[in-house]
Amino acid sequence: MSATARTAPAGNIYDLGYRHYEGKRHGRWYAVWSLYVEGMRGVWGFGRPMTAKAAPFILTGLYALPALIQLAFSSIISQSIATGEASARDIATYSDYFAAASFFMVLFLVAQAPELVCRDQRYHVLPLYFTRALGRADYAFARLAALTTAVFMALMVPMIALFIGDILMKPDTLKAIGDEWPRALPSIPASALGALSLSSIALALSSFSPRRAYAAVGLVAYFLLMGIVPDVIFQVGRHAGWDWADKLMTLNPTGAISAAADWFSGAPLVTTGRDGGLPATLGADAYVLAVVVSIVVFTAVLLFRYRRMPA
Amino acid sequence: MMFTRSVAAIPLIVQITLRQLLGRRRTVLLLLLAGVPVLLAIVFRAANDADVAGFATGVLDAVAVTLLLPIVAVLFGTAAFGAEIEDGTILYLLAKPISRWAVVAAKYLGAVGVTTLLTVASVLVAGAIEMGPLGEEGAAATRAFMAAMLVGSFGYVAVFLTLSLFTRRALLIGLVYVLVWEGALSTLLPGIANLSIRQFSLGVANAFWQMAPDEARLTPSTALPLAIILVVVALVLAAWKLMRFELPGGTD
Amino acid sequence: MTVQLPPNSDGDPVLAAGPQTHVTLPAPAIELINAARWYGNVVAVNDVSFSLGAGVTGLLGPNGAGKTTVLHMLAGFLAPSAGTVHVLGRSPNRDPSVYRQIGLVPEREAVYPFLTGLDYVRFNARLQGLTNSDQASRDAIRRVGLEDAMDRPIGTYSKGMRQRAKVAGALVHDPQVLLLDEPFNGMDPRQRLAMMDLLTEMAAAGRTILFSSHILEEVERVGNDILVMVAGRLAASGDYRAIRALMTDRPHTITIRSSDDRRLAASLMGDSAIFGVELGAAGLSVRTAHLSVFRRLIAGASRSAGVRLFEVVSGDESLESVFDYLVRR
Repeated sequence: MSATARTAPAGNIYDLGYRHYEGKRHGRWYAVWSLYVEGMRGVWGFGRPMTAKAAPFILTGLYALPALIQLAFSSIISQSIATGEASARDIATYSDYFAAASFFMVLFLVAQAPELVCRDQRYHVLPLYFTRALGRADYAFARLAALTTAVFMALMVPMIALFIGDILMKPDTLKAIGDEWPRALPSIPASALGALSLSSIALALSSFSPRRAYAAVGLVAYFLLMGIVPDVIFQVGRHAGWDWADKLMTLNPTGAISAAADWFSGAPLVTTGRDGGLPATLGADAYVLAVVVSIVVFTAVLLFRYRRMPA
Repeated sequence: MMFTRSVAAIPLIVQITLRQLLGRRRTVLLLLLAGVPVLLAIVFRAANDADVAGFATGVLDAVAVTLLLPIVAVLFGTAAFGAEIEDGTILYLLAKPISRWAVVAAKYLGAVGVTTLLTVASVLVAGAIEMGPLGEEGAAATRAFMAAMLVGSFGYVAVFLTLSLFTRRALLIGLVYVLVWEGALSTLLPGIANLSIRQFSLGVANAFWQMAPDEARLTPSTALPLAIILVVVALVLAAWKLMRFELPGGTD
Repeated sequence: MTVQLPPNSDGDPVLAAGPQTHVTLPAPAIELINAARWYGNVVAVNDVSFSLGAGVTGLLGPNGAGKTTVLHMLAGFLAPSAGTVHVLGRSPNRDPSVYRQIGLVPEREAVYPFLTGLDYVRFNARLQGLTNSDQASRDAIRRVGLEDAMDRPIGTYSKGMRQRAKVAGALVHDPQVLLLDEPFNGMDPRQRLAMMDLLTEMAAAGRTILFSSHILEEVERVGNDILVMVAGRLAASGDYRAIRALMTDRPHTITIRSSDDRRLAASLMGDSAIFGVELGAAGLSVRTAHLSVFRRLIAGASRSAGVRLFEVVSGDESLESVFDYLVRR
């Protein structure tokens, strides 16, 4: 295109009718909120093809499966308890559910956390974010909040199923709700804390790889190692009389989260079980503290990573 | 002519593969992972815990065979071809007058080499630290798990390498196989042992040191042939697929 | 519509029109007969036929025209969905032994970054089974002018250097057929000229060279035969200059805003180079076959008519629109 120059001594910029944005500008918090909503949709695969929804929904389903089965058979279970064929102890409770089914929740994080942060690095999207109203820390917090919310939702699915199941087992529904409510309530803060803890770990570790598959391998290695190594050292130390070895058990994220759930509900810690249980020498407070410290540390790592990342 | 050229090409491609697989950040991470059994051996030693079975089950099986071996194998196994396909450098290997089986063999040897080196060395060092003073039984257990690492490396790498020629998501599928099939499902369905590389490895290890039957479900005489069949089938499949290698589609 | 083109024997351009008689030369190095390739519902290459002997041929077309698909079919990395693809008389698909005679320079830039340029070329030479791999590699490096950088890792190379390393690796075994996908990407004009000279020199020695490009001007210096692909089909083939002329002599539409459109229109209508003039709200639309003539004409016409020009906008001049014109014909 060639435009004939109007009288211009040294140089000129012509207004050829550019479209100016005249609307309202929302600013930083709106940008953070948008990124948060987009992230949460991404974790669940909304607005994406069915294949993107498969992993989060199937894994949440598997995680909630025991509770859903208990819900489906609640009338039969209540009868067999009444007739003494089963004892109330066989039924999953709010505070020990996570310990039993956490494997699928870990898989949920392995599959979905890299989804949130790796591709932004791989396809060099970050500079586009950082040149907008959004800061680096804003990005990190929006992603963390999105994953935490999604994981919290997943964690609450079996809790709600258990709640409904417990109510259905009782003849008087209204009274049952009143009785059950105080027992169910602690599962909300416990799930929130667990979700934040798992999400901060998963996101911080994932942010170190632009490739989703490598991030997933890293997460698997971390969660499995933390499940095995402290336990091995603790068992060895028990024979050797190392009284410090029990504190290592707080390093296992899933173990610490289930102990924290016990702390919220006031239930006793499970000190025996399939994997030898948690050491009896530590109180539930220690695990809650460990979970909080882990959240702080991994969030700091995440922020540090995004501060240093070349955009 | 074609045959001799193909055989001569193998060491060249192995060399390239080794340089591709090593010298990256993930190698450092894998070295750290391989250090975990060694670290635990030092812990056992420090605790004066002289229990061959305890160390074998708690560390060599639970950490080395269950965790270290599949992770190292899935990373190296899928990266041997995966990185070349992703970057497009695979064309430099395939547009050559050499048989495709030679390319598969070279990639396999390279990936198996580094996997074996890392995993067997990890067990050897860990075993020497903890089991060294424990006499013949300790040495036998160490040998058993070194054999398990060797068999496992050959088996896992063959499967993951072949997988990487069929799908771009080989790493994730491999991870799911290890975690779900060999991990969660095999505890529920013991019959899976016949189709689990982990059990093939432990079965062969049984030849050197008898494990508890619920830990290693196969005898060496079943495990070894099954492992060999698996490797051969996987590699033949890989060569077949590479012969039909087509460039990823598009209208460019 | 089937497109069958005679081999470029007479140099006359042949624009895709109706079916034409297919003439076969004795054993062409490259031959496509009604070759097609589709991916699901997407047709990448549609019923393309041509054959090439010794010489340099450019495969031109906009992005997505199917150039890479044709090259990959020739290189044996895609089986044609229909039709036949022959290189040196045999199908290159699933037969690695043909690579003794084929050199391929793929479009993707990646080369093993940890190898030095010389090591990379030598690697290619050894995989080719050359007995004098070291000497052959040094020769190939020299031919692409990479001697100064041959001991540096390829990871440190610029785009143009990497491109030349790839070419050196592909011609180290002196192949009969050389296929290059966008070889001039990332090269500066001087390197481009040197590469053109190298290709011409190889062609003179009886090699068959086919390279693809989406930039018309890149081919200017080769002055040889071209094939033009548009939307998966062969749209033109023949001598570059003749096709170029056909492309530039197509009707152009130019929009003019002036102080007096009507008077300018009257003044322009007098010239035979102008096909039509149309007055509209947006200004004056002028159709002409010869842009260069029009450029000279408009200045004189406006001066003599005493009309001031505000704006002269010529239609889309991109290669895409040229190709577009070719297929619509």
